Amino acid sequence: MEQFTFTGKQKTFSIVLMVIGVLCMAYTYIAYDGGHHARFWTNFLHNSVFFTGIAFISFYLLCAHTLAYSGWHTLMKRLIESFGMFLPVGAIFFLILWFGTISEWHHLYHWAQEGIATLGHENYDRIIAGKSPLLNKSMYLILTVGLILFWSLFVMKIRSLSKAADRGDNDLATYKSTKFWMAIFMPVGAFTSAFFIWLSVMSIDAHWYSTMFAWYTSASWLVSACALLALFVIYLNGQGYLKELNQTHRHDLGKYIFAFSVFWTYVWFDQFMLIWYANVGEETIYFNTRLNTFKILFFLNLGINFLLPFFILMRNSTKWKIGSLGFVAIMVFFGHWLDFFMMIKPGIYTTMDVHGHGHGDHGHGELISEAGHHAAPMIELGWQLPGLLEIGTMLGFLGLFLFVVLTALSRAGLYTKNDPYYEESLHHHS
Amino acid sequence: MHHTVISPIREPLVEGAKTYHQITEDICSPAERAPNLLWIVGFVLSLITLGFGLACIFITIWWGIGTWNLNRTIGWGYDITNFVWWIGIGHAGTLISAILLLFRQKWRTGVNRAAEAMTIFAVMCAGLFPIIHMGRVWLAMFILPYPNTRGPLWVNFNSPLLWDVFAISTYFTVSLLFWYTGLVPDLATLRDRATGLRKKIYSFVAFGWTGSAKHWQRWESLSLVLAGLATPLVLSVHTIVSFDFATSVIPGWHTTIFPPYFVAGAIFSGFAMVLTLMIVTRKLFNLQEYITLAHVESMNKIILLTGSIVGVAYLTELFIAWYSGYVYEQFAFYNRALGPYWWAYFGMMACNVLSPQFFWSKKLRRSVVFTFWLSIFINIGMWFERFVIIVISLHRDYLPSSWSYYSPTWVEIGIYIGTFGLFFTLFLIFARVAPVIAIAEIKHILKTAGDQYTGPNATVHHHDDHGQSESVEANH
Repeated sequence: MEQFTFTGKQKTFSIVLMVIGVLCMAYTYIAYDGGHHARFWTNFLHNSVFFTGIAFISFYLLCAHTLAYSGWHTLMKRLIESFGMFLPVGAIFFLILWFGTISEWHHLYHWAQEGIATLGHENYDRIIAGKSPLLNKSMYLILTVGLILFWSLFVMKIRSLSKAADRGDNDLATYKSTKFWMAIFMPVGAFTSAFFIWLSVMSIDAHWYSTMFAWYTSASWLVSACALLALFVIYLNGQGYLKELNQTHRHDLGKYIFAFSVFWTYVWFDQFMLIWYANVGEETIYFNTRLNTFKILFFLNLGINFLLPFFILMRNSTKWKIGSLGFVAIMVFFGHWLDFFMMIKPGIYTTMDVHGHGHGDHGHGELISEAGHHAAPMIELGWQLPGLLEIGTMLGFLGLFLFVVLTALSRAGLYTKNDPYYEESLHHHS
Repeated sequence: MHHTVISPIREPLVEGAKTYHQITEDICSPAERAPNLLWIVGFVLSLITLGFGLACIFITIWWGIGTWNLNRTIGWGYDITNFVWWIGIGHAGTLISAILLLFRQKWRTGVNRAAEAMTIFAVMCAGLFPIIHMGRVWLAMFILPYPNTRGPLWVNFNSPLLWDVFAISTYFTVSLLFWYTGLVPDLATLRDRATGLRKKIYSFVAFGWTGSAKHWQRWESLSLVLAGLATPLVLSVHTIVSFDFATSVIPGWHTTIFPPYFVAGAIFSGFAMVLTLMIVTRKLFNLQEYITLAHVESMNKIILLTGSIVGVAYLTELFIAWYSGYVYEQFAFYNRALGPYWWAYFGMMACNVLSPQFFWSKKLRRSVVFTFWLSIFINIGMWFERFVIIVISLHRDYLPSSWSYYSPTWVEIGIYIGTFGLFFTLFLIFARVAPVIAIAEIKHILKTAGDQYTGPNATVHHHDDHGQSESVEANH
């Protein structure tokens, strides 16, 4: 089958997921209004960052492969392109987040408070005032929505070139033009994604900073993207598509999940160890919160994202066997979703009264001291661990992701036959 | 049906329609001829430089570290700058042999042997500096944690400097094993062609290699195991070197991006040094058909990539220093760019971030002369980087009354120059006695990357062939 058909059954499945997501989000919004519906908004941001990031990094991976004269991935080229097609959807989510920031629907970003950079104002914060050239509402629009749209332009360009190559319009010229645009995207994507992540995630803990942060999140996206790619390959194979994607291709994907998991761990360790060792209060507070208030997640994160892929995928055969590869892919996908959960939730949970029914009046002044925090339950779902509502929200986003990707996949042939490396990929075996 | 298909747009990696025999002849010949004049001149110069370095080391040990210009504020100067610089250079070899092996990059075969040798020599030069810096070198064994008669005196396991001892000695050991394992079949080739005393020596160092299927099978397994072990080591060495700085609370040193950024910088400088050496070697030994422009271009792409990664890291550091809102951090970076050592900072930026950007041009990537000069610029830039990090961060600390300025004495410069003598002496000996290109590995890729088998000559199975074979199968 050279053409993927997005069947009614698959559509129904992804729509059901989206409905679950919408219901969960609606319920979260209504039932938990503490801290300006903080639970809802953190979930919204969490999944927006996670799925947008996967779309971005997948496309980045495609560019890196093409520029490095990789041949083996060519059979998956259409699939990876389709991942990139989710980017414009991500822009919509960030537009909503930006709109929420200026309309004060949510208080995810402490720096967005009225008067925080104004000397003499009761909300004045000297540190944040110093950062205000970056941390402000216009920059948020430019560096989230603007950047995602900017990246989308590259995706569209590459996609149209790739379709042109299918029609056989001057193969080699198209290939060269593809490489040209991809080569531009490599440095541009590397620089800009850092700003995107600083503004959307790191600025939640507005006082805190780490130079590693952007690379750390990218590593997390990278593993998630490879895991999702492996799952798509397994699924499409099962549906009778892309039969030429064989054991060796899966083996390579398995190696990627293994290698990038180790890389993620490396970056995790560097960031954690250097901050722990130097023991500077302004920096350690970040991990102090996560180690104490988020203890289960903290260790779960390392278990799922390092120990599990490391030991399961160490063998040759487990990297290509559908059962073991699929299992690890599902686990690390979820694991890195948890990783992002832990980047976003603690900053809100420990500084805002997420239980109080704090609409309107007390407005922004909801900062509370750590000590005064809940005598509430030992582990609070939705904050210290994801609850069912978080899982449901994630399934909703996943459903949308599937819908967008499969639609994009069905709009072009599955095989990029005129790619100069197509034959190599077809005969990829070790 | 398992056949390898090579895309017709891939460039050949072995030129000149070589046969297996020609490969043996071409690569063995430098080790079988009498050395030419250029080699002799180079070797004598290297020995003289090495001798000068040894004299400076002697002066340092005899009179003490006071012969250097280190002071209370600037406790690390040329010594650690040179140490980090050489260690960085020692990264390319194992990256090429291990990581590129795992990535099945065929172009590694043209340069891996010489790069691995270079790695080993560079690590030797690097190791010299911390040992001399101890002052009383005869107590160097104190850094090894062995059961001892020193009572409760024990190494400090909490110190990244000690982790460095382990990281570098492990790296050195594995790199050496990797290099030597690869050499064994080639030394056997030399043995089989030699006579007399040379044959005896090569017999001894070739470990009785016969080239049997069993030998090759074990050799392949061992190479893969060593590649697996060496891959994390490539990352760990410079990671731990970066810990020497980043675990501290000194502004300009304590930053979380240091480990991966140091590794990228090390690969950057390592490739630059490989290029410097190989561009000369390929010319001297007439190996242009094995180290082709395609090889040079691939390495230049890695230089462009790692140079840009380093650039991203520099700017990240600079930006986050502002973003941090931490005045000491902000001052450290202000002082880097606009303080009394501004020339080092701008030298670093120009050589490391701007100069590799020339390699966006395909024409320049494939220009041997341009590459040669740029590779030297990069190594100057990477030396500046370490000087910037070490000396600039130290020279103006928290207390303005203890601010200071550092410039090296001739003894310090002499030791640095001496390490070049050591490096080139060893490299020139290596190039004389062992094949500078891995003969067996070139032969291994000949049928898929030789120019008589690639491009228009490639034995690609086109769609038509497929259609036919499928229809033939269908007829059965």
